[in-house]
Amino acid sequence: MTLFFRRTFPLLLTFLFGVAAAIQYYIPHPVSEAALTEVSVWLRIILGFAMILGIASLCHVHYAKIRTRVAGWGYSLVVYLSMLATVAVGLWSSGQEEGTGFGWIYTYALLALQGTMFSMLGFFVASAAFRAFRARSKEAAVLLVAAVVMMFGRVPLGEYLIPAAGPMAGWLLNVLNTAARRGIIIGISLGGIATSIKIIFGIERSYLGGRD
Amino acid sequence: MRELAGKLLRMDRRVIFVLIALATLIPLLHPIGFPVRVSPEVKQVYDYIESLPPGSVFLLSLDFDPASKPELYPMAVALLNHAFKRNLRVVGMTLWVTGTGMAEKVVSGVASEYGKRRGLDYTFLGYSPGGTNVIINMGQDLTAAFPTDHYGERTADLPVLQGVKSLRQVNYVVSLAAGTPGVESWYLYGKEKYGFELGGGVTAVIAPGLYPFLDTGQINGLIGGLRGAAEYETLIGMKGKAVAGMDAQSATHFIIIGLILLCNLFYFLNPRTAVRSGSLREAGR
Repeated sequence: MTLFFRRTFPLLLTFLFGVAAAIQYYIPHPVSEAALTEVSVWLRIILGFAMILGIASLCHVHYAKIRTRVAGWGYSLVVYLSMLATVAVGLWSSGQEEGTGFGWIYTYALLALQGTMFSMLGFFVASAAFRAFRARSKEAAVLLVAAVVMMFGRVPLGEYLIPAAGPMAGWLLNVLNTAARRGIIIGISLGGIATSIKIIFGIERSYLGGRD
Repeated sequence: MRELAGKLLRMDRRVIFVLIALATLIPLLHPIGFPVRVSPEVKQVYDYIESLPPGSVFLLSLDFDPASKPELYPMAVALLNHAFKRNLRVVGMTLWVTGTGMAEKVVSGVASEYGKRRGLDYTFLGYSPGGTNVIINMGQDLTAAFPTDHYGERTADLPVLQGVKSLRQVNYVVSLAAGTPGVESWYLYGKEKYGFELGGGVTAVIAPGLYPFLDTGQINGLIGGLRGAAEYETLIGMKGKAVAGMDAQSATHFIIIGLILLCNLFYFLNPRTAVRSGSLREAGR
């Protein structure tokens, strides 16, 4: 019975819902549409619970770091403190608009911190470009030339100095890049379809937790 | 010379950081204002909004978080300015929980500049959990997906949403995205089934990946990065943060190009390079 609920029942549900979702797409009947509406609401409720799982997992990971005093465990403490502070302020302040406590945390902590993290990328990219962007081979040289043309053509100063840089960068994006990306997208899509079929028919079972 | 090349290759990265900081700061403080050439993909978004009659429903999904604010916020401001100028019914929303406050601020902020009334001329639906399922849900029944808007008003009673039962009644959707869920999600789960017109605005990193969708007409236009935002500002004749940022971006791009060229020059002047190349060839055998 335990094995049935742990393995057979989830596989059966996956098969039923997988096949039903695939068939539903081609049936524009009101009953079929109503079923999709209902299922999409249920899915969102389930995903809401997934957030609780995520928070639990986050707490578990950082608790383990604090308990074992691994390098940088202090940051895990910061995660706990900031999370608890945000929840407390969120419950205490009625609303999330600017002017409320939660709004203040959002604007002056989250916005500033995330902005700073992303801004630092620019500095690291420049440093990495200086150290690693070398024409060690023909392929690397092609990549290097393409990158320089792109950087020239995507800024007004580059187009001002070399008017052909803009159209050249556009050609790189619209022709070479599109051709390569299209191949990648087709590959990913075929892989996605194959994986979906394997999951629906119970061939791929890793989502069950691997305890067969 | 070769000794110098070797030393320069081992240059302290803080020197590079200072160069980038100066290249960003100086143009921001003293802008030059180089003209911005408008690309066809940005013009297509502009033209489509221009073609919409007043009262059409324009849904702007701000699918990004504060990390992408420098690139996507100016885009949102420009698009909202254009939509309100054209007297479209604006519906704002977000699929990213961390973007909610920022998205609400930009929608209500631009709306107040035009004297637009909440619930009548525009609304902000806010965030709803579920990612791509929210799109499917909205396509089936918008009021089921968002029973109330961000301010707690019942969506079924909002005049701005009169006649809008689902995404099928939305005239134009633009997703400003910094990742997933974003433009691709809106195409796969939204436009493909519910048949609205879709445009995209993304960070410069994501933009190249969306060109195949543009080429096939799956999205009708694409605003890419700060450059795209600057182009849109130029089109609507409202030079804002994006145009101001283009000078800084020009300078930083040129610094990086210069660094790459120098790095390669030093690399080939460095006596160790030939040795390393030789040893690599040896390893290949």
